[in-house]
Amino acid sequence: MLERQLIKKVLDKALTTNADFAEVFIEDKFQTDASLLSGKVEKVNNSKVFGIGIRVARGYNSVYGYTNSPKEEDLIKLANDLAQSFAGEPQGIKFELEEMKVGNLHPVKILPSEVSIDEKVDLLRRADVAARAYNKEINQVSVRYTDYVQNVWIANSEGTYVKDTRVRTRLSIGSIAANEETKQTGFNGPGGQHGFEFYSEIINVEEVAQEASRIAVEMLHADECPSGKMPVVIDNGFGGVIFHEACGHSLEATSVAKGASVFTGKKGELIANPLVTAIDDGTIPNAWGSATYDDEGNLQIRRVLIKDGILTSYMIDKLNAIRMNDKPTNSGRRESYRYAPTSRMTNTYIDNGDSTFEEIIKATKFGLYAKKMGGGSVNPATGDFNFAVSEGYMIRDGKIAEAVKGATLVGTGAEALLRVDMVGNNLLTAQGMCGSASGSIPTDVGQPTIRVSEITVGGRGGSI
Amino acid sequence: MNFDKLFKAAALKGIEDIQVYYSEDNQFDIEVFKGELEKYTIADTQRLSVKGIYDSKMGTVTTEVITDDIIDFVIDSIIASAKTIDSEDEVFIYEGDKEYKEVKGLFNESIYKVEAKEKIATVIDLEKKVMAIDKRIRMVQAFYGEGSNSVLIKNSKGLNLEKKVNDALVGVYVIASDGKDQRTAFEYIRSNDYSDFDFEKIAKMGAKKAVALLGATACKSGEYEILLTKEASASLLSPHVSMFSAESVQKDVSLLKGKIGEAIGSEKVTIIDDPFMKKSTRSGAFDDEGVATSFKELVKDGVLTGFMHNLKTAKKDNVKSTGNGFMGRGISPTNLYIKPGTLTYDDAVKSMKKGIVIVELAGTHSGTDPISGNFSLQASGFLVENGKIVRPVALITVAGNYLDLLKDVTDVCDDLKFDFGYIGSPSVLVKSLMVSGL
Repeated sequence: MLERQLIKKVLDKALTTNADFAEVFIEDKFQTDASLLSGKVEKVNNSKVFGIGIRVARGYNSVYGYTNSPKEEDLIKLANDLAQSFAGEPQGIKFELEEMKVGNLHPVKILPSEVSIDEKVDLLRRADVAARAYNKEINQVSVRYTDYVQNVWIANSEGTYVKDTRVRTRLSIGSIAANEETKQTGFNGPGGQHGFEFYSEIINVEEVAQEASRIAVEMLHADECPSGKMPVVIDNGFGGVIFHEACGHSLEATSVAKGASVFTGKKGELIANPLVTAIDDGTIPNAWGSATYDDEGNLQIRRVLIKDGILTSYMIDKLNAIRMNDKPTNSGRRESYRYAPTSRMTNTYIDNGDSTFEEIIKATKFGLYAKKMGGGSVNPATGDFNFAVSEGYMIRDGKIAEAVKGATLVGTGAEALLRVDMVGNNLLTAQGMCGSASGSIPTDVGQPTIRVSEITVGGRGGSI
Repeated sequence: MNFDKLFKAAALKGIEDIQVYYSEDNQFDIEVFKGELEKYTIADTQRLSVKGIYDSKMGTVTTEVITDDIIDFVIDSIIASAKTIDSEDEVFIYEGDKEYKEVKGLFNESIYKVEAKEKIATVIDLEKKVMAIDKRIRMVQAFYGEGSNSVLIKNSKGLNLEKKVNDALVGVYVIASDGKDQRTAFEYIRSNDYSDFDFEKIAKMGAKKAVALLGATACKSGEYEILLTKEASASLLSPHVSMFSAESVQKDVSLLKGKIGEAIGSEKVTIIDDPFMKKSTRSGAFDDEGVATSFKELVKDGVLTGFMHNLKTAKKDNVKSTGNGFMGRGISPTNLYIKPGTLTYDDAVKSMKKGIVIVELAGTHSGTDPISGNFSLQASGFLVENGKIVRPVALITVAGNYLDLLKDVTDVCDDLKFDFGYIGSPSVLVKSLMVSGL
């Protein structure tokens, strides 16, 4: 690892022109990936990632460079090249690097790097057997396993010097059910900031695998979803992807600071139905999107984004805070040393309300019950969103009726938030990978079951 | 790392054959916002991927620490990985082809002849140009990025291949607003020849696209004649490219399985994979497995002629690899596109009675299912009546099946364009699609 003196030298070099901030991010990561298809282990790969990112800024303008080389001459040259963007007299910034030490808030029991490949591969086989055994209509199962230990060191010209270790693991199962006419897929992919104990203490591998098969089989026998505007009940867990995509991204400083978000300048205003309280919490112990520090070296915190429908906080990184004249919320995250950090979500969810699941279904005369959501995307400037429903049912006369496939939910985030008219009491989170300006990072989405009074539903089953 | 030393050490530990894939990348990116340089990134990285055969199984490892100190780690990882594989597919390290085509125009010095300062000034000016075109343009993000990539493939069977490619990208992301409605557009040019960058054209097109969509609302649900613009068509083709992969076919997740020789699209549809296209970083004489690449018409006049192969799938089908084996992407195209026709875009619009020009499809990664071909996607564009654009439309979904769509192609335009992943298409006229709106 880089000596503290060398890091200091690099930071000092970066400040030899008119810049007022410099940061070094060092990453040393060891990852194992394994995959199985059609009952056979196909690929097992170890990878070693090592690199250094240097950021130099004046005000909110910054430049970034990265390299794999830990050699002093290479790092000093990179710092010097970056510094040339801020021509002028040095600002004379003096600092010492004092290491801040807090205990790791997400301790793990069994480091995956100390578990043999055989044991990891055994999980693939167990998941495969269970997913197949679910039903004879399952004709294909693929399983992926990932774990990593990511060590990062973050130091900056404000004297910040921290080390953080992020240990994550995830098992994803994709099942395909097929009959003469069609094929349908089901997916389940739980993960967490856990060591290998995740598979013995937190999840049941067989149950998790069978859930993927259950969705596939259910959808194999589903009708095409009808299209039109209707009330939609979105279930807990991965249903929270709707909030993540349609609102979460628009509350990130990346789009707010430039006025590119529909929620710019709306702090203190009612932007959602008063039933809605939404949280982004990077401190949840061992959660997928948690960390002890953010990727700018600040302690992770819990942010109340929306309180009773009122916008209370954005998610803000260091440089966007300057641009917005607001305080950072320690939201700077990045995939790796290859990305400069920017404001990102951690574990983001709609908080519990009072209704039970049964009450919500019963109160819905006609509509769509989106039990499992697939992915989606949003245009942060317009708030236009779209989501695929991976497991859906029609609701008729307050009861869950026939299964439907191929549904897409389309709308705008701002409108949907105001139209949330029932919020359940069964909050659940689920794991996802979120791709944005600073790369692909682990985030939790979550919510209790909610009802949106009207969303445009796209499908191939004719108009309602 | 001394690769010969690695090969020797590997042989001593029982690795039968071994291959390294060593890649060096240089990247330079700038982004401008409100007249200021907002993003400036320089990078210089290396990555080494090694595969080796141990006990008839293929083990792999990847590392960014590339020194002689980790030779043991590389070898041990390959052996541990190979030991757990139980796929019985025959594996081998490729000794190479007799001949590799000389592909020219993949590395161009012209982008380095312009200094960074001038590039920054040009991008700042590009932002200004867009802002000046229409007062409804609220915001512009202008960017420039360039990258080069050199690859070395070397193995214990004597293969030794090198290539070097580069390219640059200039573009604008535009937000327009009329006070009530806000719309966005994206316009760019990619090339490795600096003289190809027509900044005026990018500015004009970016501004025009964003403003044209202002005031868009949903239209009535129903069947409409559809014109997919070149960008929309490429974005819809992209998630369906896996259908043409022999791996999908062998795993029985391709709708095209068993259809070689059959018409899978209208006779207007020809789909090409061209590894020799100039100015593309995806081009080259060999793929990441060291196999010579080849020009292919995967679909010719609507008829499926074959699939893309890598070494593994080719062996299984007892054919020759088509040179589509790529690192991290499995089987992947080089530059894949729908062959352009002769119809102009304007004439295509004029030919429509009651239809929709779709300029953008959102969420193509989640709203499509390449296994069934079914898609249901959010779209925006323009309503056309009697050959004339009547008004912009948005917040509609279009649904259909990609193979049905290929069969329903009535004509293709002459305006081929490639997306970021080197998937290309001209604008495409389609008989009809189901639209869900009001």
